[in-house]
Amino acid sequence: MSASATVAEPLVHIRNFRMDFGTQTAVRDLSFDVFAGETFGFLGSNGSGKTTTLRALLGIYQPTAGTLHIAGKVFEPRDGARLGYLPEERGLYKKESVLDVMVYFGRLKGLGRAGATQWSRSYLERVDLADKADVRLDKLSGGQQQKIQLGVTIMNSPELLILDEPTQGFDPVNRRLLMDIIEEQKRAGATVIMVTHQMDEVERLCDRVILLKDGTAEAYGTVEEVQDLYGGTVVRVRCAGLLPASDLFDVARSDGDLADLAPRAGVDEAQILAELVRHGVQVRSFTTARTSLEEIFLRVYGTPSEPVGV
Amino acid sequence: MAQHNLSTVIGFEFLRVVTKKRFWLTSLAVPLALAVVFALVFLSNAATSETAQAQADTQLVVTYTDDSGLITDAVAAAFGGSEAPDPAAAIAAVKDGTVDAYFAYPADPSTQPIRVYGVDKGIFENGAYAAVATQMLVLAAQQEIDAPELAAVVQGDVTVTSETYRDGVVSGGLDGVIPPLLFLVVFYVSIILLGNQMLNSTLEEKENRVTEMILTTMNPTTLIVGKVLSLFMVGLVQMLTFAVPVVVGYLFFRSNLNLPDVDLSHLSFEPGAIVVGTLLLLGGFILFTGTLVAIGAMVPTAKEAGTFFAPLMIMIFVPFYVVSLIVSDPRSLIVQVFTYFPYTAPVTAMLRNSFGSLSALESGIVIVELFALGFVALRLAVYLFRYGSIAYSKRLSLRDTLRRSRA
Repeated sequence: MSASATVAEPLVHIRNFRMDFGTQTAVRDLSFDVFAGETFGFLGSNGSGKTTTLRALLGIYQPTAGTLHIAGKVFEPRDGARLGYLPEERGLYKKESVLDVMVYFGRLKGLGRAGATQWSRSYLERVDLADKADVRLDKLSGGQQQKIQLGVTIMNSPELLILDEPTQGFDPVNRRLLMDIIEEQKRAGATVIMVTHQMDEVERLCDRVILLKDGTAEAYGTVEEVQDLYGGTVVRVRCAGLLPASDLFDVARSDGDLADLAPRAGVDEAQILAELVRHGVQVRSFTTARTSLEEIFLRVYGTPSEPVGV
Repeated sequence: MAQHNLSTVIGFEFLRVVTKKRFWLTSLAVPLALAVVFALVFLSNAATSETAQAQADTQLVVTYTDDSGLITDAVAAAFGGSEAPDPAAAIAAVKDGTVDAYFAYPADPSTQPIRVYGVDKGIFENGAYAAVATQMLVLAAQQEIDAPELAAVVQGDVTVTSETYRDGVVSGGLDGVIPPLLFLVVFYVSIILLGNQMLNSTLEEKENRVTEMILTTMNPTTLIVGKVLSLFMVGLVQMLTFAVPVVVGYLFFRSNLNLPDVDLSHLSFEPGAIVVGTLLLLGGFILFTGTLVAIGAMVPTAKEAGTFFAPLMIMIFVPFYVVSLIVSDPRSLIVQVFTYFPYTAPVTAMLRNSFGSLSALESGIVIVELFALGFVALRLAVYLFRYGSIAYSKRLSLRDTLRRSRA
């Protein structure tokens, strides 16, 4: 993979991708790039075409039209040694022991038996599952199985890590652990593509994002660019008293005494503060912030999409 | 890499079956049952032998009257018998238990029955009276012939050896039928033992949602070939597990178990039939394996797969309904249909090959057909797994899957 991937050339290159399932179109004319070393957020509501795009990129689906390249060529399973893929539909051989399954996948990804065994034991130690090495997978909890699955995904030190909803099923503690592991991979030079509905994860980890809606790109760029596209700055106020209706701003979000106000075109923060004071609102704090991705997500996906796919 | 992955898959799939307790419990159940039967036979034979010896040691006291004039005093004495002066008195002696039995030999024993009167000693021991009465007469008749070789011939105690010719060359006869039939036995055993595992081999990836991990890690052909080879190895282990007790029993306890002493040196191994049998076995195995794996890749659950299993199993037993025709009239329409229909072809052709009625041309056609369709079925299985197994919970449409793969 690394041979043909350079900083200038995208590691993942998708152009005019279209995917039909019978008479239904899951993705239409989708184009985007992911560059080596970046963490890329792949966002969208359920059924918007994220998983379909990833499956087509990895050759699991044959695209109806378009170009989907990794490192300049169509992905083939023999390239899997440098790929880490955590699919949305996940599972492992449940009747086998944790260590056997990890070593098996390690060997399929090109590690030797000893190397795979050593790596697996060390990983199990790290994720607090060292005592489960010889336990059958179906005897573990869902969260524990998720940890094993993540281990299998990263055990070959992948250059490209594709994670489809990685924190699904994790409690907050283990979610933090998982985020730390992803950050480590990123620091080690991995390119990460992450599908998630956790917007805080995106803001914490991602350099760039794409928002899919009904199979097309609704927004694409750096996190800041996307935030700017959807309202840019918001005024966050903590106050007592009712917020007045005003021509200067819209109330983007209100939660107790905290509110995000979206300035209308040509209005600056000082005008809003003056407007609040003029209406007798007791302002306790007043800050400016970018529109959160969660807010943007809610705005874009206010209407649920119809799922399409197999 | 592909070779490394193939050996990794074979190792993983083989070891995870043979290291399971359940595998050994299932596999050892048959030999254990055989061992129990053998033990019972052994004990039973020992008891029977003791009883027979005890019976032999107990001399019967019998009297007889002989209208045929065949029984001599010497022969009668050898069986503990003495001539009775009067039938009525002899029967009275039996009734009061003075003698064990009285035999009344008729004037013409070939048309008239020998009447036997005896003290009731139980349903099994009472049989000894008739045996002794008959044996006395046979021995007396043999002495009348006065030539041991004629006596043996009269008893049918002769050996026959046959030599038959086909195309001017000595053919094996029945001894030549047995070796090629062994391929049929191996075919049945392997399909019956492994069929269900073949069917479920790719289902596990679907049911456990491992498909995507596999498809992005290795070529699906490698996975399926690896699974088939490991299944074959598992089958060999099972066959050995079944065969070892039988071989040990035959070699070391044959006389105790009353097993026939089969002289294997008489078997005739005709190279042509052996080669054809081997190819039919391999071709049939590949065809059934490919078909079962393809079905497994097409359905979402083991339960659904089961509905396809029964018809395939019926296919391998159906030829036995016409086995008499296969042997006596291989040109009949039904035998021809069964010879060329892919799923009845292996058994029918192997039977015909054993009985020498499968011509070289027919052998060639069936072998090519089995290998060709077997590889098509395996390719189809790979396609279905590659492009269809991602539909975890749906039964696949073959047409849609193939269309998608060509897109």
